[in-house]
Amino acid sequence: MRNRNAAPKPEVVLAQQLVFLVVLLATWQFASGRLIPAFYISSPSDIVAIVWKWLADGSIWLHVGSTIITLFMGYAVGALLGIGFGLLLGLSPRTERLVAPFIAALYGLPKVALLPLFVIFFGIGLVSKVALVASVVIFLLFYATLAGVRDIDRDIIQSMRLMGARSDEITRKVRLPAILPWIYTGLRTSIGYALTTTVVSEALSSNRGLGFLIEYSASQFNSAGVFGAVVVLLVLSSVIMIPLGMLERRSRPTRPSR
Amino acid sequence: MPVLRLVHPEPAVGPTEARRRKIGLEKVAVDFATRGKTVRAVDGVTLEVPEKQFLALVGPSGCGKSTILNMVAGLLAPTEGTIEYDGAPVLAANTRVGYMTQKDTLLPWRTVADNIGIAFELRCRKASAGERRERVAEMIDLVGLGGFERHYPAELSGGMRKRAALARMLIYEPETLLLDEPFGALDAQLRLLLQQELLHLVERRQMTVILVTHDLEEAVLMADRVVVFTSRPGRIRATRDIPFERPRNAMELRFRPEFSAIHEELWNELKDEFAASIGGERGAK
Amino acid sequence: MSGGSSLWVQRVFLLAAILAAWEACARLVSDRWISSPVAIAGRLAQWVAGDLWYHLAVTATEIASGLAIGIPAGVLAGMLLGRSVRLAAVFRPFIVLLNSLPIVALTPLLIMWFGLGMQPKIVLVAFVSFLLMFFNSFSGARAVDDELMDSLELMGATASERFFKVVVPSCLTWTIAGLRNALPYALIAAVIGEMMLSRSGLGHLITRSAQQFDMTGIYSALFVLMVFGGLVNEATTLMEDRLLRWRHLETRGG
Ligand SMILES: Nc1ncnc2c1ncn2[C@@H]1O[C@H](COP(=O)(O)OP(=O)(O)OP(=O)(O)O)[C@@H](O)[C@H]1O
Ligand SMILES: [Mg+2]
Repeated sequence: MRNRNAAPKPEVVLAQQLVFLVVLLATWQFASGRLIPAFYISSPSDIVAIVWKWLADGSIWLHVGSTIITLFMGYAVGALLGIGFGLLLGLSPRTERLVAPFIAALYGLPKVALLPLFVIFFGIGLVSKVALVASVVIFLLFYATLAGVRDIDRDIIQSMRLMGARSDEITRKVRLPAILPWIYTGLRTSIGYALTTTVVSEALSSNRGLGFLIEYSASQFNSAGVFGAVVVLLVLSSVIMIPLGMLERRSRPTRPSR
Repeated sequence: MPVLRLVHPEPAVGPTEARRRKIGLEKVAVDFATRGKTVRAVDGVTLEVPEKQFLALVGPSGCGKSTILNMVAGLLAPTEGTIEYDGAPVLAANTRVGYMTQKDTLLPWRTVADNIGIAFELRCRKASAGERRERVAEMIDLVGLGGFERHYPAELSGGMRKRAALARMLIYEPETLLLDEPFGALDAQLRLLLQQELLHLVERRQMTVILVTHDLEEAVLMADRVVVFTSRPGRIRATRDIPFERPRNAMELRFRPEFSAIHEELWNELKDEFAASIGGERGAK
Repeated sequence: MSGGSSLWVQRVFLLAAILAAWEACARLVSDRWISSPVAIAGRLAQWVAGDLWYHLAVTATEIASGLAIGIPAGVLAGMLLGRSVRLAAVFRPFIVLLNSLPIVALTPLLIMWFGLGMQPKIVLVAFVSFLLMFFNSFSGARAVDDELMDSLELMGATASERFFKVVVPSCLTWTIAGLRNALPYALIAAVIGEMMLSRSGLGHLITRSAQQFDMTGIYSALFVLMVFGGLVNEATTLMEDRLLRWRHLETRGG
């Protein structure tokens, strides 16, 4: 009956969550070196130790800082360009229809594959990584903005005109309110992709950043280092993304506008 | 398991003799907690439905009619009091009843025909594909949905969806029907036709029925007994036996003077409650 | 749309103009950075006659095997967990946390575990698609209309009948939305894995060319990837239209 299987009590749930976490960590700690070689799975205590060491000597901040800078620069550049192109093509639908298949083809290309090209063009430093992140974000915001422009109701604009509204009033009262939610959604959606791209580009070609730290530790067969860097990354990503309600967003069953 | 229509003998129709109690509500009350406030939707309702009786519930909107059907179906537990079905308390979903809810519950990914036939796909009354098709065709005929077998619910009008939902329930002929505004969205002619078809079926199969309706005329035409509810919290305001013979001819019945008399009598009970309910809403604003 | 065919003619002209300008730049200025369409076409022809099919097959195998594991497992786990009020409540924070992690960051770890063959890429694709499908099915199962479940229960449907007749089909929309993410992501994951450490696959084609500063090779490999990605997208759209006819009707408003 509906009112009998209502949501369980929050205290009980919290207790069960703690039990699950403790059992998980304890099993991991126990299995490490006994059931599975520590070489593969490290152990919670080793991971805590190495993260602690990074925090104590401050070496982690270089990597965290580098990741954050790459992420936000690429995100900002990509978002600005994406919104710009979206508005531009959104306002000239003929051109948009003409180039749509070309854009769709580029969109289908896994952008990481562009990294070697960018490295050849811009060197191994910050610029190539920013370019890669931007190349991912740009498409997402382009399509979001375009959808927003299409969402503008022509009939409302007509009736506003008949009421004597000036063009800037129409922009403020009709066009922007239609476009902004789409851009906002696009901005929220793309931060996750931007972070993924940042970390991957750092792992593929860099000498700093959390992605680099993971890749470097793995190449040294230092599994504690790998897991430690993943833990730091997890903290960073949840600090950035959980407030944005990523779970709701990513799993909404609307199809991407294309 | 054989289909129910093969099991029931033709009934001996007669006046309401003393019958076994099919459904019993004993001092039932329901509270809903919404936005921190507790609202009493139903209060102190005691009601018995004998076997094979056709009972109609009328009352102003929001007085708890759907809530009562939900409890009889075992989808909602009362806050106070007990619900019994066949002498046993209702503690879980009551699979002996067919329930046509106010909002239709057609499966949106199934066509009309597949929706109507779904009961025969279940293990408890599995039928062969051929038999299923035959029964579905009969039901589609009965509710006048011919030509729409392959349509999805989203392609139907509100009234057509209601009819499909009705067919989906009637097809397996449950011993008890719970009907929540079954003819709500239909035009007058179709309404008459379907009322008559439903009467036939119920009389032939000797089903027990609780019908919720806003249409007092419909209640008097179809039911053996009409219960009038007060506005929220829903209490029983009046109960009236309807003495017309069975099988009934709804078309002819509505022109009889007794019909008008009963209709007027019940209307007088009801109109105060409508006034009270609307006054209440206004007052709340 | 009127003039659909003339639009395509315009597009062909546009493409020809771009390619001609590119070729002209390469001839007149320098083809050191930008290679040239003719050179790329030549290289592609050479690859088609050579080992392109081998690399394509490697990438396709990695994707297909990974998806074959990840999709069913993710869908099933998501639906089951999503239907259990208690389990869903308990695991919710862990799911949210996992969902915010860039999963492909684990690639180096997988390579460390499984070496440099196809295995780590298959595991990566499986893992990524598992999670994406899981999140979607989970949300889908949470969003199942309880009244539909009730109506079947009243007809006497057992728990498993309700699962297969209501939960599974009503999750389908979400599952398809998940596939929309998972299929392109599977390609991305496989390519990342190949770029990190590998001796075969399309990702390897790119890094191999890059290491030799072979611009023509890079552009050719990008072209192949673009076509591959386009095919994956087309396939998803086709499947979506097939499976979700009822839903398109619904959103159009009946
Ligand atoms: N799930 C619920 N949560 C909170 N309140 C509810 C819920 N269901 C019903 N109510 C309240 O209980 C009261 C009775 O509702 P119910 O649906 O039974 O009315 P009704 O008599 O069927 O009305 P109508 O004729 O309009 O269908 C209403 O005031 C409604 O607001
Ligand atoms: Mg109701």
